[in-house]
Amino acid sequence: MTIPLVPKLLRAHLRELAINESRIDGRQRWEGRELDVESGVLPRAEGSARVRMGDTIVFAGAKFQIMQPYSDRPNQGGLMCSAEVRPVAGRHWEAGPPSPESIELGRVVDRGIRESGCIDVDSLCIIPGEKAWQVILDLFAISDDGNLFDAFALAGIVALRNAIVPAERFDIGEDYPLELSKTPIMCSYHKVGGRFVYDACGREELGGDERIHITLGDDDHVHSLQKGLKGIFSPNEFTEIMGHAQDRTKELRKIVDSL
Amino acid sequence: MGGYGDVQMIDENGLRVDGRGPSDLREISIETGVVPVADGSCRMKWGTNEAIVAVYGPMEAHPRKIQRQDRAVLDVAYNMAPFSTTDRMRPGFNRRSREISKVTKDALESVVLLELYPRSKIRISIEIVSAEAGTRCVGLTAASVALADAGIPMTDMVVSVASGKVNDVVICDLNKEEDNYGEADLPMGILPNSGELVFLQMDGDLSQEEFNQAWQLNMDAAQAIHEKMVESLKGGDSQ
Repeated sequence: MTIPLVPKLLRAHLRELAINESRIDGRQRWEGRELDVESGVLPRAEGSARVRMGDTIVFAGAKFQIMQPYSDRPNQGGLMCSAEVRPVAGRHWEAGPPSPESIELGRVVDRGIRESGCIDVDSLCIIPGEKAWQVILDLFAISDDGNLFDAFALAGIVALRNAIVPAERFDIGEDYPLELSKTPIMCSYHKVGGRFVYDACGREELGGDERIHITLGDDDHVHSLQKGLKGIFSPNEFTEIMGHAQDRTKELRKIVDSL
Repeated sequence: MGGYGDVQMIDENGLRVDGRGPSDLREISIETGVVPVADGSCRMKWGTNEAIVAVYGPMEAHPRKIQRQDRAVLDVAYNMAPFSTTDRMRPGFNRRSREISKVTKDALESVVLLELYPRSKIRISIEIVSAEAGTRCVGLTAASVALADAGIPMTDMVVSVASGKVNDVVICDLNKEEDNYGEADLPMGILPNSGELVFLQMDGDLSQEEFNQAWQLNMDAAQAIHEKMVESLKGGDSQ
């Protein structure tokens, strides 16, 4: 990823907007962009989703492979989550090996899903010590206008929820739906003009400072946290964000459940 | 080509496995402006193929050694998303995608008016998110629509389509089974206004007569596809 020049004018403008309690695209501080979620959109994937948040567009595709269980966990299958942001998604993304930014994206989403325990890894075992399913969740950005984290996390969980385990293709019985016991949801906050906002757009990310990602499970249980980029935040700021995340994850979970 | 001549792919009525006649195309839909942050973009669905192409530029060409003093350079990358195939595709370049990127670039550099933008670069990202057969044709065709959507001057758009042969019958626009078990594949990149070519590949086995038939099928199909491309750029319904 090339490091974009951040014009001082943009930062000054964002600070001024913050003082006047407004945002660069006219939203309220805690308001998300228009959201569109579609599931089952990729014919070659066993589970898939397309999420659009404003001008940010991502795909998630779930595929299954046969793996040999790890020797210390012979009764478990695996989950692998990888994010790719290729040059198609924006002029500042460049070709080449995965950038630290896209690795962080994949790993933060991975932790939220893995640690929530929504996938029963024991149920992915076929023959203990020999054969198990590996679920591979690929997150793929089409258009980056900020907050790829939330878009990836949402697309990822929707793709898993409609995934079908392709047992027939591997001669292991009949196809069946992958079971998910929980729906972890991520909410991301960026410090823009000196205060945190929800669901930052590209220009807010460009002229902003640190960001915080929170993944909550069904009972408001915390499953993953990540602070990214340079910046300092206070416990009070965090409490405020966490309060909003509790409300917002419930709204988003309703949308996911209605699909 | 697989060349398994004993697999019956054409029925007694001359229809193909998906019910098409020899010269029928799979269903095609084209949409522009699908990558809002790009300067131009296109999504093309062709059968169960789906390509998304974004165009960025003209912009500064760097590193400087790639710059040309008298013209722009095209930076074309064809890539298949990991979930685009039945078995997961490992991310990253491979020999196949490098070759397709190169021939796509060669085709597009033949039509873009590069000399208008000296020392600059135009980036064309072709992402196959769902693959059936003929993804290089979908990618090249979608790329020319995306270039037009970006307002990049060209002498003509490139229409790419493939014909081939299964069970000794020459057919247009091979699907997955026909591609796997067929006896020949002839993808071409055609300039619909002049009938000239900027892209040509072939593998398999065709007699001179079959070759001429396949050639003509491609030429005719290109006109039909070109109409849909123009329609999508006018903002109309391309279905």
